Amino acid sequence: MRFRGCLMWVSAGLLLLLLSASSVAQKPDDTAAIKDFQARISRYLALQKQQGLPNQSTSSPGKLAEQEQQRAEKTRQARAAARQGDIFAPEIAAYFKRQIASTMRGPDGARIRASLRHAEPLPNVQLKVNAKYPAEMPLQSTPPTLLMNLPHLPRELQYRIVGSTLVLYDVPSGLIVDLIPDAVPAS
Amino acid sequence: MNRNKRIAFIYLALFVAACALCAPAHFTLAAQADRGAATSTTASSGSPAAVPPFHTTHAAPAGSLDIRIPLRDKSVRFAVIGDSGTGERAQYEVAQQMEAYWQATKFDFVIMLGDNIYGGHSPRDFARKFEQPYKVLLDSGVKFYASLGNHDDPNAERLYKPFNMNGERYYAFRKGEVAFFALDSNYMDPNQLNWLDQNLKNSQGTWKICFFHHPLYNDGRHHGSDVDLRTQVLPLFERYGVNAVFSGHEHVYQRIKPEDNIYYFVLGNSGKLMTHDFGSPDERVKGFDSDQSFMLVEISGDKLYFQTISRTGETIDSGELERNTATHTH
Repeated sequence: MRFRGCLMWVSAGLLLLLLSASSVAQKPDDTAAIKDFQARISRYLALQKQQGLPNQSTSSPGKLAEQEQQRAEKTRQARAAARQGDIFAPEIAAYFKRQIASTMRGPDGARIRASLRHAEPLPNVQLKVNAKYPAEMPLQSTPPTLLMNLPHLPRELQYRIVGSTLVLYDVPSGLIVDLIPDAVPAS
Repeated sequence: MNRNKRIAFIYLALFVAACALCAPAHFTLAAQADRGAATSTTASSGSPAAVPPFHTTHAAPAGSLDIRIPLRDKSVRFAVIGDSGTGERAQYEVAQQMEAYWQATKFDFVIMLGDNIYGGHSPRDFARKFEQPYKVLLDSGVKFYASLGNHDDPNAERLYKPFNMNGERYYAFRKGEVAFFALDSNYMDPNQLNWLDQNLKNSQGTWKICFFHHPLYNDGRHHGSDVDLRTQVLPLFERYGVNAVFSGHEHVYQRIKPEDNIYYFVLGNSGKLMTHDFGSPDERVKGFDSDQSFMLVEISGDKLYFQTISRTGETIDSGELERNTATHTH
């Protein structure tokens, strides 16, 4: 009887050890995904830098529109073959989905959801990589606590949420760099 | 022949009568066109010819205005507008009230609480939704300091010189003893939080005022309070002694009960309006959801004076608030 009890405790301990080992083993995968993501972001920005694109302050809305259009066109041409998953490759997209889901399941989840609800949520619209973000559509605010749990981005790029899609948004050109559909869990 | 002469005479008479009837219309159109030409924007070289779409006659002459701010010497005086950029008649009517009050109070600048340009951001939109309605103020040297709302284009607007954002999504400026912090509540990332922490910490302003789009406290039913944003920024506001916060987004006016010695105002109805929007009065001391409005603010010494004025020129709220230094420590 006593021996059987001991066996049960040892088995439970082993199971716990195995579980914690698997969660530790997940870390290096995430690190690799994050590193890969950051490398892809750097390549995207380097590509933009090569184009020598203008982005200067002016009092003329006409010039602003011209600048933005020029940036968008040149970037689009430089990435003519761009497809969904170029930045958010499958392992990276899987990492983002896990990260968003765990943040929204955690203690801050209810608050993040409320923030999304109050920020004029956008419907799921058809978005295309390398296309302009629809001009008339507002940009829903991204909850700060969610941003704290996602990899850091340079100032030119932002994470935006459209319906349940996570969008990588290029601010100066107004382009959709990449996206992950169904990244934000429904509840 | 006689008959023909008679017919010709009748035609001539009819023509003269028609001309006489049309003449005033011609003169009116010419006058309007002249006025339109005179009001073409100074801020935009690429804008289409600016003909103000709305002429309003609501604003009272300066002498008959109900002015409730004290107009002290060397005070900091400014106006506040939020969710203004519709390009619709109501925005122009609020702008006319602002002009009338500017004549009497000479406020120095205007802070914008976001949604400065709704919809498209073409040169025509900038003209119709900003340059034309505030033309008199802009031409008189009144500066506008914008913060970004969810309907704004974060790139075009931060680079648009008349918004004085210096190419940044978030920025600070100083007027006398008052330090202003314009934040981008659409995207409060760790970079911006670090910037805010450093800038509030190092600020020498006696008054510290933050303005941004999404309200931390809000009784409006349409959006409500942004609790996640509040969780991130409020500890900084409290730690570094922010005195007043102005937000928009909810298309009403609200003066919120002071929280932790910070005064909060929500003003999201300088163009848009959400009528009958209030839920139970949990957060607000005063609310106004039946018309558009703007605010006048004057800061002198340890006092902040405010007056909220409706589209039709009615004062809907006013008062004075004391800078509370009791719990503010660096």
